[in-house]
Amino acid sequence: MQPQSEYEHEVAELIVESLNLEDVSAADIGPEEPLFGDGLGLDSIDALELALAVTQKYSVQLKAEDANVQEVFGSLRSLSAYIAANTS
Amino acid sequence: MQNLHNSQALTNRDPDDIIAHGPDGEVSVSQFVARAAELAAKLPNHPYVINLTADRYEFLLSFCAAVIAGQCTLMPSNRQAQTVQQVADDYPGSYVLGDSTLEGIENFDIAFEDLQATAQATAPGIPEQQLCAIVFTSGSTGAATPNRKYWNTLRSGALNNADSLLKGQNARLNMIATVPPQHMWGFETSILLPLFSKIAVSCITPFFPQDIVNAIRSLPEPRALVSSPAHLDALLNANVDHVHIHRIFSATAPMSRQTARRLERRFAGRVVEIFGCSEAGTFATRKTSSEDLWHISPDFDLDITPDNVVIRAPHLPDDVVLNDVVELAGKRQFRWMGRDQDMVNISGKRGSLADLNHRLTTIPGVVDGVIFMPGENSKRLAALVVAPGMEPSDILGQLKPSIEPAFLPRPLYIVPMLPRQETGKLARKMLVELFEQTRRIKAQQHEGSTNS
Repeated sequence: MQPQSEYEHEVAELIVESLNLEDVSAADIGPEEPLFGDGLGLDSIDALELALAVTQKYSVQLKAEDANVQEVFGSLRSLSAYIAANTS
Repeated sequence: MQNLHNSQALTNRDPDDIIAHGPDGEVSVSQFVARAAELAAKLPNHPYVINLTADRYEFLLSFCAAVIAGQCTLMPSNRQAQTVQQVADDYPGSYVLGDSTLEGIENFDIAFEDLQATAQATAPGIPEQQLCAIVFTSGSTGAATPNRKYWNTLRSGALNNADSLLKGQNARLNMIATVPPQHMWGFETSILLPLFSKIAVSCITPFFPQDIVNAIRSLPEPRALVSSPAHLDALLNANVDHVHIHRIFSATAPMSRQTARRLERRFAGRVVEIFGCSEAGTFATRKTSSEDLWHISPDFDLDITPDNVVIRAPHLPDDVVLNDVVELAGKRQFRWMGRDQDMVNISGKRGSLADLNHRLTTIPGVVDGVIFMPGENSKRLAALVVAPGMEPSDILGQLKPSIEPAFLPRPLYIVPMLPRQETGKLARKMLVELFEQTRRIKAQQHEGSTNS
């Protein structure tokens, strides 16, 4: 598994806390593993919960041009990069 | 027995009306009919088509093309490869429309931009008894149950919905839906309603709150939003710009009166909640901000017993039994009292707690355990499990292959024992207390570990 950056670890903790992932520890989320489907196994209810948590913590509104949630939440790395790029 | 050769038009709309807001702008009914007929002639000659097309206009067009070509559209309960593969295995002679990387199933890529037909004033007739779609519902195991939809069932259902959802609505409504066209709720409203009522549906399916607002703003007034309480709650809780939404239609889970009132204040429109299921479609509606009682839609009859409800309508091929507890109030209204204690509804999917609990307690190493809904407004199931020496991840790993992902308990806590009474029963109050207590301890442990 590739190492998480400090920022990615912070986002990983937000994922675990906001979604009650009791069986996953933040440090175990591979930065490039898929969060949805076969990876961490998240679904669209999680996407909405996580989007709300991200908005509350980072004041970033998630947007997906064509509802392609898998792309926005592709991996911990892509989500972290998205938040970082949109944080003013 | 109805005459097999009776046919009904693909659409009853005026040829000049607008039926969709496509990728290239407004699409008139006559242009739509012409392109659907053109596409019908190009489709591979197979009996079944699995339509995974995500763009709603393209789904509408390709679904109608399949209907014209006499093909039956299969709608899997989700888009996961395993689910789609199972449907393809069960229906030999299937091909896939839309994005698919599945191996071993023929994939037909539609070049929508190559469709050239400009106008066809007369909609083709479709035999009333033609099998047009099979909608799959998944129970707690994820095993799919087929619901067969004949043209007469779809058409009559849509006319019925137009009557109950759009009463008094004369101007054309411009519709955005956040739910997929392959799910019965999205299918009835965003695909079938535009064929039989003054609706122009948008090709995009927004997901996040700001996307929804942007999509709505891109449409002319008056606008309608088809959604679910999960999306609408997110929309209310996000700090998004103001936009006017004339009608909000919600289904898949119950909505509180408070949520309906907040939505109506925020978007200056009316919320209409829909009661339905994949088997029967929409069969009752209510204005949730001011009504508790559900109005039974025209054509439907409910036969109510203490344990369940039997739904009948002339256009349904079979009676439909729902494990909901309802009380009739007047001739055409009912009050919903709750679901059979065993049934849960997560993310628009119905499952049996007894079945889930059986799967949990038969895992080797699990001594005792229970899966339950921790609170009235919970979006997820939770589990308390007695399994000495096992970790939550071991148990979830065993559950994952055999149950629908939406039903995986979150959180799952390991506890020393369950508060069973002498009779072996579990009192809900004690269960929830143990759950809350365990959650507090976990949170304290978590704080301790991050502070150390």
